[in-house]
Amino acid sequence: MAVAFAELPPLVRMVTDDELIAATLGGRREAFGDLVERYERAVYHLSYRTLHDVEEAKDATQEAFFKAFRALATFKTGAKFSTWILSIAYHACCDRLARRKRYSYDELPDAADLTAGPEGLAILGDEARRLRTAIDALPEKYRTVITLYHLSGKQYDEIATILDIPMGTVKTHLFRAKELLRKALSDSVAEVRK
Amino acid sequence: MDDAALERALFALPLEEPPADLRGRILAATVYRPALPFKMWEVCLIGTLMALAVWLMIAVLTAVPDSSARLANAAASLMDRLVSSVSPSILGWIVVGASSAFWISQFTVPRALPARRNR
Repeated sequence: MAVAFAELPPLVRMVTDDELIAATLGGRREAFGDLVERYERAVYHLSYRTLHDVEEAKDATQEAFFKAFRALATFKTGAKFSTWILSIAYHACCDRLARRKRYSYDELPDAADLTAGPEGLAILGDEARRLRTAIDALPEKYRTVITLYHLSGKQYDEIATILDIPMGTVKTHLFRAKELLRKALSDSVAEVRK
Repeated sequence: MDDAALERALFALPLEEPPADLRGRILAATVYRPALPFKMWEVCLIGTLMALAVWLMIAVLTAVPDSSARLANAAASLMDRLVSSVSPSILGWIVVGASSAFWISQFTVPRALPARRNR
């Protein structure tokens, strides 16, 4: 959780996830609140980047935390909570994408609105905006790998666990995603120069 | 753009800001979710007992010949006995009592405000 974790206030960082889980199972509600505070942003980011819809991303995030809460007693101590919750969220997003594909051919993820959220666009610089647009234009499998790479901070094994694919596939997808991004970015720079 | 520059740009991208109400929604759906009035084993037990009662009733009704007609007769005779044993004046008082109780239950009485805490 390189990016999200770095943004945590120091006091929240002092307690481990395992301790928070044990406290939640012991009946301390606020401990689960701390877990939500810790991972809400990462889970929402993955959901939003996968689904491109604020309401659906909110629902998927809520569903992920709800499922995690109900299955908290089965969580293995020593495993990474971040991997677990992101995996649950990813599968919730996949279910929603499958449902969307089943009911509407107009809303396929790759044909969805490819611009970032309005707040995001306002604060992003030109280069960042181009990069985000390029990421959004990637095929779904590459986009998810890049999003998780961004979230987990280069942890290939974590990405492989979340997506339930071999690590070699993660590396291949990442390599191709980066290639496509570089090409898209150089194309957009060339267009600007024209 | 080389690999290092792309990675720098990638990791400089901010995460999506979750909507303000999301955490409240998650907590309301998890830790602050109101507890069910019955526990799961209680629901299972009640369901099993009810199924058993229905099965028993069907078994009795099918085992006894003309059971539905006999049941209807018994209910009708019970009603007859009840009506004949109650005098008109008692019936009148029952009606007055029931209607009074109904009308009183319709009135809303303002609740007392909770005492303010001293800070």
